[in-house]
Amino acid sequence: MEVYEIFRRSGHKNPFEHCGAVIAPDPEMALLLGKECFLRRREGEHLWAVRRSDIHALEDESVLEIAADKSYRFASDYRDVVDKREAARRRVASMSWGGAS
Amino acid sequence: MSYEEKLEEFNRRVEAGDKVEASDWMPDDYRRGVLKFIEMHANSEIMGALPERECLPKAPTLKRKMSLAAKIQDEIGHAQLLYRVAEDLGKSRTAMYEDLLAGESKFHNVFHYPVHHWGDVAVIGWLIDGAALVTQAALLDSSYAPYTRVLKRICSEEQLHLRHGEHITLQLASGTDYQREMFQEALNRWWLPIIHFFGPRSNVAKDLLLHWKVKTRTNEDLRQEFLDRYVPKVTELGFSFPTPVPRLKGDAWVVAAEDIDWAPLDAIKKNRGPETQRRLSRRRAVYDSHRWVREALSEPAVHAA
Repeated sequence: MEVYEIFRRSGHKNPFEHCGAVIAPDPEMALLLGKECFLRRREGEHLWAVRRSDIHALEDESVLEIAADKSYRFASDYRDVVDKREAARRRVASMSWGGAS
Repeated sequence: MSYEEKLEEFNRRVEAGDKVEASDWMPDDYRRGVLKFIEMHANSEIMGALPERECLPKAPTLKRKMSLAAKIQDEIGHAQLLYRVAEDLGKSRTAMYEDLLAGESKFHNVFHYPVHHWGDVAVIGWLIDGAALVTQAALLDSSYAPYTRVLKRICSEEQLHLRHGEHITLQLASGTDYQREMFQEALNRWWLPIIHFFGPRSNVAKDLLLHWKVKTRTNEDLRQEFLDRYVPKVTELGFSFPTPVPRLKGDAWVVAAEDIDWAPLDAIKKNRGPETQRRLSRRRAVYDSHRWVREALSEPAVHAA
């Protein structure tokens, strides 16, 4: 008997998501038990069973921490576009005055 | 790192609201406490299926019979999810099944009582599932993350059970005098066990599960939420409560501490409830008669012939 992690997909637009685990002697039984445990109400339209021992996991979650300031990788770093747009408009407005002279 | 340093870091993490995964380092007392807690929850799901199973032949219509059977299947499903989570803390499912049968581990007090008629199904489905949902919803923020993930599924199914139980109750409440008496009679028997369900007053200083945020709220806090939520609904339907009678104090429905007789709960803790032994022997019979399924599962090649 082995632990199988169960994943289900709730629609073609969604990725497979982990929903739990079962203990089974083989993949066929793992899928059957997974269906009974996690898909009794059509919560998904497809199912995977993966042997837990086949999953490679990070040993050290701290490697996910971002070492330096990398705020430029996030949309939140660009929230001042509203001010920037306003400044640009003012700049253009001043140009058209200048152009008329 | 020494054990003390690890413990200190663990305490700091949990205190800050961090969640614990099965693969994380945890103090032995945390592992033992969480395991015992989830094991009892799993036991209760499996033992809780038995009283409702006994009610199946009493279903008034085919539809009620089908829906009750589906609910029983859900409860067994909850047990499967919970045992799986408990197993990852280091105790085999076989050991948990056998400890339950040997009386070494516990199951919830309400499943130690007999069921008499369809009114019991209404009270169990509405008020006992309502009580269970109050306690389980409070655990959704538990510090042990694998438990919270299965609880998400369990709670969403319990919501359905609650609706199902309320539906049955409302049908009795709007039916004949005899149907109303069925509900009232069942409520009279179940009220004290429901009050017991939340347990005696929590000892906050000593309760390690509260300390480590495995449980997030005290027993009396949960009991109070249940009373405030359900007493008005029951009263509105024209039913009354036996001792301990809830009384309105300010805006809270309160049962006086001195009105609660704890002796029946103490007996149940020693597995001396009214139905404890009969239910356990029923569970044992099922466990034995299904042995061939477990054997076929564990060695499919041998049994395939």
